[in-house]
Amino acid sequence: MMLSRVADHQYWMSRQMERAENLARLVRVSEEMLLDDETLGRGSAQEYWTPVLAATAMEGAFRSLYPNPQMGDVARFLTLDLRNPDSILSCIRQARENARSVRDKISDEMWSEINALNLFVTSPEGLQLLERFPQAYYEKIISSSMLFDGITDATLTRDEGWNFLQLGRLLERADMTSRFLDIRSQTQPSPVDSALESLQWGAVLRACSAHAGYRRVHGGEISVEGVVDLLLFSNEFPRSVRHCIRRADEVLHDISGTPTGRYSNHCEKITGALLARLSFAGPPEVMARGLHAYIDELQVQLNAAGQAVFESYVLLPGEVDRHFPRGTRPESLSDWQREQQQQQQQ
Amino acid sequence: MNLFLYDVYHEQRIIKDGVIPPEVVFGASHYRPEFVGVSVPKDAYIHVCGTDLIRDRDGRYLVLEDNGRCPSGVSYVLENRAAMKRVFPQLFGASGVRPVDTYPADLLATLRHVAPRENPNPNVVLLTPGVHNSAYFEHSFLARQMSIEIVEGRDLIALDGFVYMRTTRGLRQVDVIYRRIDDDFLDPQVFRKDSCLGVPGLVDAVRRGNVALANAIGTGVADDKVTYAYVPDMIRYYLCQEPILDQVPTYLAWRDSDKKYILENLPKLVVKAANESGGYGMLIGPVATQAQLAEFHDKVSRHPRNYIAQPVVNFSQHPTLVDGGLEGRHVDLRPFVLWGDTVKVLPGGLTRVALTRGSLVVNSSQGGGSKDTWVLAA
Repeated sequence: MMLSRVADHQYWMSRQMERAENLARLVRVSEEMLLDDETLGRGSAQEYWTPVLAATAMEGAFRSLYPNPQMGDVARFLTLDLRNPDSILSCIRQARENARSVRDKISDEMWSEINALNLFVTSPEGLQLLERFPQAYYEKIISSSMLFDGITDATLTRDEGWNFLQLGRLLERADMTSRFLDIRSQTQPSPVDSALESLQWGAVLRACSAHAGYRRVHGGEISVEGVVDLLLFSNEFPRSVRHCIRRADEVLHDISGTPTGRYSNHCEKITGALLARLSFAGPPEVMARGLHAYIDELQVQLNAAGQAVFESYVLLPGEVDRHFPRGTRPESLSDWQREQQQQQQQ
Repeated sequence: MNLFLYDVYHEQRIIKDGVIPPEVVFGASHYRPEFVGVSVPKDAYIHVCGTDLIRDRDGRYLVLEDNGRCPSGVSYVLENRAAMKRVFPQLFGASGVRPVDTYPADLLATLRHVAPRENPNPNVVLLTPGVHNSAYFEHSFLARQMSIEIVEGRDLIALDGFVYMRTTRGLRQVDVIYRRIDDDFLDPQVFRKDSCLGVPGLVDAVRRGNVALANAIGTGVADDKVTYAYVPDMIRYYLCQEPILDQVPTYLAWRDSDKKYILENLPKLVVKAANESGGYGMLIGPVATQAQLAEFHDKVSRHPRNYIAQPVVNFSQHPTLVDGGLEGRHVDLRPFVLWGDTVKVLPGGLTRVALTRGSLVVNSSQGGGSKDTWVLAA
């Protein structure tokens, strides 16, 4: 048993951290791709980024902030732009704020690492690195997030809080892996340019640290079916959607104490159904349905799982209306709340 | 002060006997008439007290003010000690420094002591305004040291006169709340309607005796800066003893003769708002600008009950490392006192230091620092 709000902070702390890491993976690979002449074919860098923004559901936000995009604007928007609530910097800041709210529940080492990352991304050294060696900058973010994960694994008591932390990370990872796949599904199929296609799928694999894993299973030749098989359906590869959902399902059952294979609340029902779906399907079903449509359905389910976690454990049904009149968004209260919080001191 | 608080919220003998004028008590902005006749567990109002002491020119310790609402700073005492042990381990060996790290356990015992209905295994929580408060570090630190939950108002819910916290397993009853938010923000149904930090219905649960608050509601009447002037009289009245520590002489603007003196001598005096804390709302006459003097002249004339004045006490300095050299800086001392089944004085305290040369304002909210403070075993 733990405070609902604390569970929520733990969940979001790790979820935002994972999101920052995956965005860093995405930008790193994209920028690296853009260095190759062939990547673009006849298109512009802008065209290259469009599906990336679409797959991460940030296209609208980007267009409104940058009506006349220049070179480097997308990377800036995804990395350091605080006006973008899902930029790497925004995610790290939010992860750190969540960590601060549960400072007494996490280990000192976790706190240090999240602060180190938060300071690094906007430090003079960090910014200089971003300017001169962007790959190294993004690698540093990725490795810091992975270090945070490792520190968590090595220092945090395996209690309910740990489960919520895992849940946030796993659901985000499943979501982002599916989005990486979606990027390529949105690219216009170029007329029989198989060299370019395998280059692009190779980039998706690299973004997911899946190159080695792919070769072990599917050999050296990169095919859509192979990538889909590994990133959606692999039971062994730790960033695959199925693997993440299986772990999330286990974690949820650990929280509630219900045996796996049954469900005691809505989120267990969703992850269970999703797991069954991923366990008894493969690339042929995806290709028949269409990759983009398949991923779209998957993401609806992933969102529903996140929402169900919130409803089952954070909002206690029936108590919501007492605290916030229907229609009030908690965020609109936050400035006012901050002001009152600052006033209390003797 | 606990005797005084019990009295003003019950028989009000001290007023009827003419020791303290009624307007001092009833005019204090932190006086809570809603709580007259309401009993609190063990008659304890102030469970945690942080009295500020200074040492004057003659080496006498004087009480500068009493903090009986939510005194803060104890985490600095513990962290300063930890830092000193790390940096100067060799100093500690033979000195006989008394430990301060028993404080969290003592605080927890104090809180458990006031659990309603003598519950042997009470659920104690720390109520914080939240992460944006400057003392949030301390709240988090203490909750962690005591292994209790740190909650915000939105984590709590009052139902049918009981208070519960919202957990992943549903509601769990709360017995004692160590609250670090002001009375005004505790319950929007009773105090400030716009509070989004509090718990609607909390005060009702307190009245019914189903949950205990530490410190209790309404203690601000005792640490009001006008009430302060009457503390020596209180000690004589309730305890038939003479105060051990003196006070800083205090002029009360609501007395006409004092007001006249204050207005005529503003540049020589320190003027303080009666119910502010954290170093806000004060004027230090000798270093004030003409505009500030005029502003306070106006404020004191118009709201005499709200202001007191004291002569500038040039309290003691302590060698302080500033830009690589040692310089004198003014310090005061806040010892922490816990009032549970016995009175426990922490053998140490928060020495607050004004880091600006010549400044007499030590409050951390005004940029003050702090120092480790030793009490040696006899």
